[in-house]
This record gives sequence, C-alpha cells and structure tokens, in this order.
Amino acid sequence: MKIPPLLRKLLLLDIIQGLSITFKHQRQADVITEQYPLERPEIAERYRGYPHLKVDPTTGETLCIGCGMCAAACPEKLIGVESERDPETKKKKMTAFQYDMSRCMFCGLCQEACPTDCLELTREYEIALYDRKGMQLNRERLESDPDRTEYLR
Amino acid sequence: MRPITEYLHSNLTPGESGDLLWIFVYVVVIFLGISLAVLLMNWLERKILAHMQIRLGPMRVGPHGLLQSIADALKLLIKEDVIPSQADKIVFWFAPIIVVMTAFTLFLVVPFGRTHAVTDMNIGILFMLGVSSLGVLGVIMGGWSSNSHYPLLGSLRSSAQMVSYEIAMGLAIVSAILMTSVASGTGTLSMIGIVESQYQQHRWFAFQFFPLGLVALLVFAVAMVAETNRAPFDLPEAESELVAGFMTEYSGFRWSLFFLAEYASMIAVSSIAVTLWLGGWLRPFPNALSGAGWDGAFSFVPALTFVGFGGLCIYSASRMPKVRGMKLQSGGLAAFGMLLGAIGLLMCAPALRARVQDVYWFVFKVSIFMYLYIWYRGTFPRYRFDQLMKVGWKVLLPIALAVLILTALVGVRQELFSVVAEAVR
Repeated sequence: MKIPPLLRKLLLLDIIQGLSITFKHQRQADVITEQYPLERPEIAERYRGYPHLKVDPTTGETLCIGCGMCAAACPEKLIGVESERDPETKKKKMTAFQYDMSRCMFCGLCQEACPTDCLELTREYEIALYDRKGMQLNRERLESDPDRTEYLR
Repeated sequence: MRPITEYLHSNLTPGESGDLLWIFVYVVVIFLGISLAVLLMNWLERKILAHMQIRLGPMRVGPHGLLQSIADALKLLIKEDVIPSQADKIVFWFAPIIVVMTAFTLFLVVPFGRTHAVTDMNIGILFMLGVSSLGVLGVIMGGWSSNSHYPLLGSLRSSAQMVSYEIAMGLAIVSAILMTSVASGTGTLSMIGIVESQYQQHRWFAFQFFPLGLVALLVFAVAMVAETNRAPFDLPEAESELVAGFMTEYSGFRWSLFFLAEYASMIAVSSIAVTLWLGGWLRPFPNALSGAGWDGAFSFVPALTFVGFGGLCIYSASRMPKVRGMKLQSGGLAAFGMLLGAIGLLMCAPALRARVQDVYWFVFKVSIFMYLYIWYRGTFPRYRFDQLMKVGWKVLLPIALAVLILTALVGVRQELFSVVAEAVR
C-alpha cells in the first residue's frame, strides 16, 4: 500500500522507520567487533608481517644466495645485503643481512624479488616495540623464529 | 531522632514544612543522585550508541566497561586546566559555573514524589522555564570569552536556537497548564499540583482532549531536544564543523562542568515532560486499578526491577569469556549483580516499599526520555541551520499555537455553548 507523502510526513513515518532500524541493530548477536587480546584474530594466508629468512631444514644453511635482489627491489632501500665470493666454490655467499623494520611498509616487493624464496614476510603481526632499536633486524634475528609472547591480559 | 521520624509521617515536602535539616538532606541527595545519574547516563549513552552502530562500546574498564565513566571523570579532574592567554579570564571562569548552577537549580522544584521534592513552589513550572533559559547566558559567555572563532560561532548558533525553541516549548507547556483547570476550575503552576490534578482528572495530560495533549507532548519532546543542544539539533557543538562549539577552549574540570550541566539539564527537561504530560510520580492506572491489593502489587515493582537487573548481571557474568585475565571482571560483575539483588530485597521491606514507589515511577519515566535522547542521536543526521530555524518557527510554533488555542476552546466548550445558545435565543 502506498501512503501519500503528506501523510507520511504528518505521521512521522520516515522518522519511525529510521528509529526502528537503529533499534533493531542493538541485537548483541550482530556485533562483529573482535575482542582482540582475548580472541586471536584470523590472519589471512598471504598476510605480510614480520620478515623472516628461511633456513634449509635439512642442512641448517641459509637459502639466501646474497644476490641482493631484495635490496634492489626495496622502494625504501632499507635492506642491506653483504656478500663475498667463496674462493673455492666461486659462489656468492651472504655474510650479513640488515633489515630496518621501522621504515618498512610491508609491500612485499622484496619477497617477490627473492629468487630462492628465502626472504618472506610471515603472518606474525604483533611487532610493536617500546624501542626503535629493536626494529633493526640482523641476520640472527631474521633467521630465528619470531618469538611470540603470549598476550596475558 | 525526632525530626527523622516526624518527617517520615508528614505528607509535605521539606520546603513546605520549613524543615531546614531535611531541605539540606534533600539538596545533597538530589545533587549526588543527579551526578551519579550523569555518570550512568554517560556509560549508557556510549554503550547503547555503540550497539546501535553494531559495535561493543567500552569493554575494558571494569566488567562491560561499567567503570569507564568513573575512569573518565577521574581523568578529567586531574587533567591540566588551560585558560587561553587572550581569553577574558573572569567571564571564562564564570561561564561553566553559571551553566551548572542553572542546571542544578532546576531540580529544586522537580517532584520525584508527593513528598520527594525540595519544595513545592506555587509557580514551579514558571520557575523551571525561567531558570532553564538562564543557561543560554553561560553558553554565550563561554563562547565569547574564549576569544576564538569556533566557540563564538557555536555560542551564536546556540543562542539563536535556544531562544527560538523556547517559544514553542513555552506554548506547549501553557496548553498543559490550561488542562490543570479542567476538573477543578482553577489551574495551578505548581509541579506537584499539576501531577495531582492529573490524578484527579483520572488521566495523564498526554491523553487529555485526545489528540491535543499528545501533540503538545510531541512538540515539547522535539523542542526539549533542541533546547538541550542534543542530536539532531546539536549545531552549537557540531564536531565536524566547529570542533566542540562553545566548549572548544575549555579543558579538564571546567569542561566536565559543562558536560555535567548538559546531562543534568537533559534530565531536568525530561522531568518537566514527565510531570506535565506523563503523570509524574503516579504509577500506571492509579484510579482504574486502585485499592490496597493493587497498591501492594505495584509496590513490589521497584524491588523486582532491582532483582531483575541483579539477575541479568549475574547471568552475563556467567557468560563472560573464561580467560584468566577476565576472572576479576566477571567476579566483579557477579558481585555488582548481587549488590543490586540485595538492594532489591531490601526494598521489599514495607516501610521502604511505600516510600520508594513514587521515586521509582518518576525515574522510570524520565529514563524512557533519556533513552530517546540516545536513540535520536544514534538515528538522525544533524539539521542544517536554516532547517533548524524552519522547524522551530514554521512547524513547531504554529502547531503549538494551534494546540494552545484548541485546548482553550475545548476546555471552555460548555460555557461557549451556553453563550451561543443564549445569543441564539
């Protein structure tokens, strides 16, 4: 049934309709807010978080070949790779790796550039720190699994 | 002991009986009660508004964020109180005090029950109108003395808005006052007298001369939202345009005074609406369902409400997440529920039951209006300034005037008919 506009105005029908919508929204079941420290959020598989350098699980040696492609791909120039040529095998070997996470925007270009899939941005998301110094990641820090501290409260 | 027992048997407000001790007690109790209600209202507003927007609202401070408003109040009190160097210091200092004083002075005549008012002034409603319009003075002073653009613009908007809506509000009130003379022949301006005449006429003024009373209530309900500068009429403090309006330069304690005054005056105008149209402290159907049996049944309602809320608290405490960090919170909520339940059980005591009832029904009706305030805020977008003026002058004022004239005509219809019959003869 169509109600004429004048009658709608006089009976405040539109106002009542608006009020009823907000009233219905008060159902607690509709709330989708995440209670973060109490509930762990679901992290997408391709989430780009804390950087990590992969290690070959069988030999324990790094997968990095020191090519420096990641450093070249980084738009912020925050990756520094030092390498030297092994005199015997004539292969390049990574000696030091610097990653400045304080300037990182987690674009993932380094991850895409890596030919050996060594550097990856993991699903670890709790990377807030009290100090900027902790943001300078060296090789040891990158190769170790990011130690996740369980949030207590 | 004597003054206490003597008072408990009296049927007068302390102001009428000239009992200084009880006047003092009432003033303190009302001041504390209103302040507590403002804290509660702050929490409820944030919670209900959040739920309307499909959020959770405060959840961290105390169980379900129950202590959030207390934490905020503490934060405001210990915050640095800045006075701008270019501000007019004396006026700046006085503005929040004036606003708070007017907001709390209103409660002198608000009848929470037949004996539960500070005093029964024979010009009660006139007093309320007069004092409530003083509040705009504080707003203008605050805006002007800040010596800044946003506060000045905010206070200009506010003064225009409050002045123009006061007219529609006043006319709606006059039509209700006219109704007080229907049965007895003489009207009254006393707040207690208005409620009593509703009792004598066997109906609330909202349903007197249907639909005139209801329309007057609607006009008042719109005007009172505009009068207290609340959404959708919150132009004086439109966040997106004016930062915080006339309160922009205020901080800390002074700002919290403005905040307190805003909510207190919301409660005050809601209680005017309840007194004039919704039967004040009268319980539902005091005439149709009269007699000792019904009185006894209704007197258990306040106690039941408290027990019900206590049960709700304990139920939701049991539903809280079973995490180590939440143990204290769910325990606290359960304890709070038990406290409410204990108060409810205490209220079953016959002496308390009889005296608490008036206050309960009054607060119940006022809280419906307070919920409406939040509901409006969650629903309606803000009016533009010209729309605001249009609604005030071109819609509400004519309606209120028409209702007033029609009420007067319907009220004297007997006399009118006899005069016309005389003339015809």
